[in-house]
Amino acid sequence: MAKKTYDLLFKLLLIGDSGVGKTCVLFRFSDDAFNTTFISTIGIDFKIKTVELQGKKIKLQIWDTAGQERFHTITTSYYRGAMGIMLVYDITNAKSFENISKWLRNIDEHANEDVERMLLGNKCDIEDKRVVPKTKGEQIAKEHGIRFFETSAKANINIEKAFVTLAEDILRKTPVKEPNSENVDISSGSGITGWKSKCC
Amino acid sequence: MEQLPESSPALAFEKDAFQLTVEDVYDISYVIGRDLLKISNAGEDVSELQFRIVRVLEMFETLVNKYNLSLEELKMERDNLKSELERILGDSSSGHGTQMLGPNKLVVDLKDPNRPRFTMQELKEVLQERNQLKAQLLVAQEELQLYKSGILPQAEPAMVEVDLNSPPTNNPTPPITREEAKEEKTTIKKLFSFRRK
Repeated sequence: MAKKTYDLLFKLLLIGDSGVGKTCVLFRFSDDAFNTTFISTIGIDFKIKTVELQGKKIKLQIWDTAGQERFHTITTSYYRGAMGIMLVYDITNAKSFENISKWLRNIDEHANEDVERMLLGNKCDIEDKRVVPKTKGEQIAKEHGIRFFETSAKANINIEKAFVTLAEDILRKTPVKEPNSENVDISSGSGITGWKSKCC
Repeated sequence: MEQLPESSPALAFEKDAFQLTVEDVYDISYVIGRDLLKISNAGEDVSELQFRIVRVLEMFETLVNKYNLSLEELKMERDNLKSELERILGDSSSGHGTQMLGPNKLVVDLKDPNRPRFTMQELKEVLQERNQLKAQLLVAQEELQLYKSGILPQAEPAMVEVDLNSPPTNNPTPPITREEAKEEKTTIKKLFSFRRK
């Protein structure tokens, strides 16, 4: 048997207004680094990071979208393949928070129905410029039944936690299969039992 | 000062009517007044005529004044409109290379090296290709690492893979576990993904 480098591949997507820090959040997670210069993402980009959850190697392919309106026809075409979507706003930018409802509507329109969603209030290190109270983020997340974290790519707050939590939530919904066993009969009793126990 | 003090006020009589200024009217008044004085010195009674002429000259003064003021106003108005027009033309050409023509219309400056030149479809294709090549590079790097560390024997086909399906394809791109099932497992594979509903 050939040795595989991972057991599962999860596709994630980052969306939100331009300048809220989507690329920085991803860069912190994938490369554990931060860059202050603002370079607007052109259309769509991605990064890969492998994490280990419950003894499984999970490869995360994370798509980073451009927030600018002019790229929307390109970025929305990537919603469909996503298993998890992170909605990012900037706690120092009220407009970016108001637009979260718009981004949620975009998900409803373009993404899979069972996609895992998560709300992130980024730049939480800049407390003196905060205009969106944490409670407002919590409230909108609760209304939509999704998880919420305040993050800082710069100060490395909750970044890893957010990605790992999202991956765990997807893993919980993923049918169980013997790792590294490509030829295993997935309709076998053990497989179904395993899946049932996770599901119910 | 005037070189010909006697003749210069009289020049006002020779001017074009529309070129007359209030000063010209005063010159004319001066000349007429002087002439009337000559007549009265000759013993003629011209006082009645004198008042009438003064009255006519006053009316003349008012009319010339009014005409010149109106002319001045029109000139100012014209200059204002001229500079306004220049400002608008300047704004539109030095602006951002583009200008709103009407709803959803843009003008592109063909001399601007950064003018929009490619379609959204072209950008989409270039980005897809970039991302595919990037994914392939990552796969190749990983494989190389495995060969280097001796985990992968030379003859084995590499099983490392990144899902390269571009989003516009209709596959909702399920986890790799499902994709890897062999061809003959297709039906089961389908059942497997359906039962999550």
